Amino acid sequence: MRHTVNSLRFWQLVVVKIRMNLKSEAAQNQLNYVWWLLEPALFIAVYYVVFGVFLNSRTDSFIAFLICGKIPFLWLSRTLGNASNSLVAGGGLMNQIDIPKLFFPVVTIGQDLVKTFVVFLLMLSVMWGMGYQPSLAWLAIVPVALMQLLFISSLAIIFASLVPFLPDLRFIVQTFTMLMMFASGIFYDPAKFLLPEHRDLFMLNPLAAAIDMYRDIIMEGLLPNWEQLAMLSIVCGLGLIIAILLIRKFDHKYPRLVLQ
Amino acid sequence: MPTKETCIRLENVGLTFKSRRSFFRYSKHHALKNISFELHKGETLGIIGRNGCGKSTLLKVLSGILKPDEGAIYNYVNYVSLQSLATGFDGHLSGRNNAIISAMLLGHSKEYAMSALPSVLAFSELAESFEEPVKTYSSGMRSRLGFSVAMLMRADVLLVDETLGVGDKRFRVKAEAAILGRINSNQTVVFVSHSGRQVKRLCQRAVWLEQGEVVKIGEAEDLVDQYEHFVQNIKTTPRGAV
Repeated sequence: MRHTVNSLRFWQLVVVKIRMNLKSEAAQNQLNYVWWLLEPALFIAVYYVVFGVFLNSRTDSFIAFLICGKIPFLWLSRTLGNASNSLVAGGGLMNQIDIPKLFFPVVTIGQDLVKTFVVFLLMLSVMWGMGYQPSLAWLAIVPVALMQLLFISSLAIIFASLVPFLPDLRFIVQTFTMLMMFASGIFYDPAKFLLPEHRDLFMLNPLAAAIDMYRDIIMEGLLPNWEQLAMLSIVCGLGLIIAILLIRKFDHKYPRLVLQ
Repeated sequence: MPTKETCIRLENVGLTFKSRRSFFRYSKHHALKNISFELHKGETLGIIGRNGCGKSTLLKVLSGILKPDEGAIYNYVNYVSLQSLATGFDGHLSGRNNAIISAMLLGHSKEYAMSALPSVLAFSELAESFEEPVKTYSSGMRSRLGFSVAMLMRADVLLVDETLGVGDKRFRVKAEAAILGRINSNQTVVFVSHSGRQVKRLCQRAVWLEQGEVVKIGEAEDLVDQYEHFVQNIKTTPRGAV
């Protein structure tokens, strides 16, 4: 009855564990599940005050523009932060049960995915409230989000599998997240501020491309460039496969590493 | 050559922990050195030794959690499991939810975990506390819950780590009876303890470990006597005389 990645029981366990972790997390705060919404809402409020009021860069659509960039970025930064430490945090458990180590980052990714789903619904209702009418084009958010999920998962698993070898890598993860924030056009419009010859290069960053697509879909009602989306999904999918192979390769090294 | 009866065979197994002292400097700690023995089907093998002699590390090697650095381990059975009391309960979840998650971690399906809940509740004697968050439990209650979940374990070889020293005296007797029930039903068990008495009572054969090495393997009765004699000598020898 050993767990293997290919068995149904393993994925059943992952789902139950995600549910239980969310429940446990909610039980630790007075406001329970409200925090899932409050946290991103506070972020948006801060950026609104700083950029919209003080820096006086408010245009009609700037706040909407900011929200569509910040919320997807929060998903990435949150998942990377949590997942990179997931194997170290699971050290106690992996020393008691021989379990595929993929379990730990996948549970973290799933946990953040559920929260992000709620936050995306909040984002869409805020956008609706700001006057952006929902249209059928909004359904295209789903494939874009799936591409972003592939991207986030591959990064999260790669970081998770390397941090036990090199604990200092956690600082790099923070720096990397910061880099992603500036390299994804959250506060500025890449189409306006970048030189034309740099734009294609910029859009090779899956997060930048995803944010650009979210904005087009929500604010303009434009469908994404499917060819670009498919290419990015394939690349991120390959990245995910490499990440999984990596964590499986070192499967039996981790219980010892996290204790040392 | 392994006989039909052999479950697991260890050949010159060694395992070294490295810990970082400073930049690029490591100190080595040999947790296990040159361990060889066989585990037979249906027997209860005791492992005794003082704290830090490598008992728990040896169990982790047997269960497949750790891979040895040297030597080889031959496994002739399908599934070996560590029966442990502290599979990491989440203090914010109820005893019921923790029991579900722990049972599933031990390899059960969700359906089985759910159907086993009444037996866990009954055995653990937690009553209404079963629905309370585990952080409100006393350590005795925690270990009762842990033991009750662990009793759901089904494995070809069961590795038991000091489980019997849990709870109050009455529960300890009950827990030991449950383990004995398993032993008598032809379950292969490896039992780790630093209590010679328990090993004498439960095991036929025993392995005596000292500083990661096998001192002796033999009949539990004789071996435990020798081990206890040895421990007593250490205790009564004044410092500096060793």
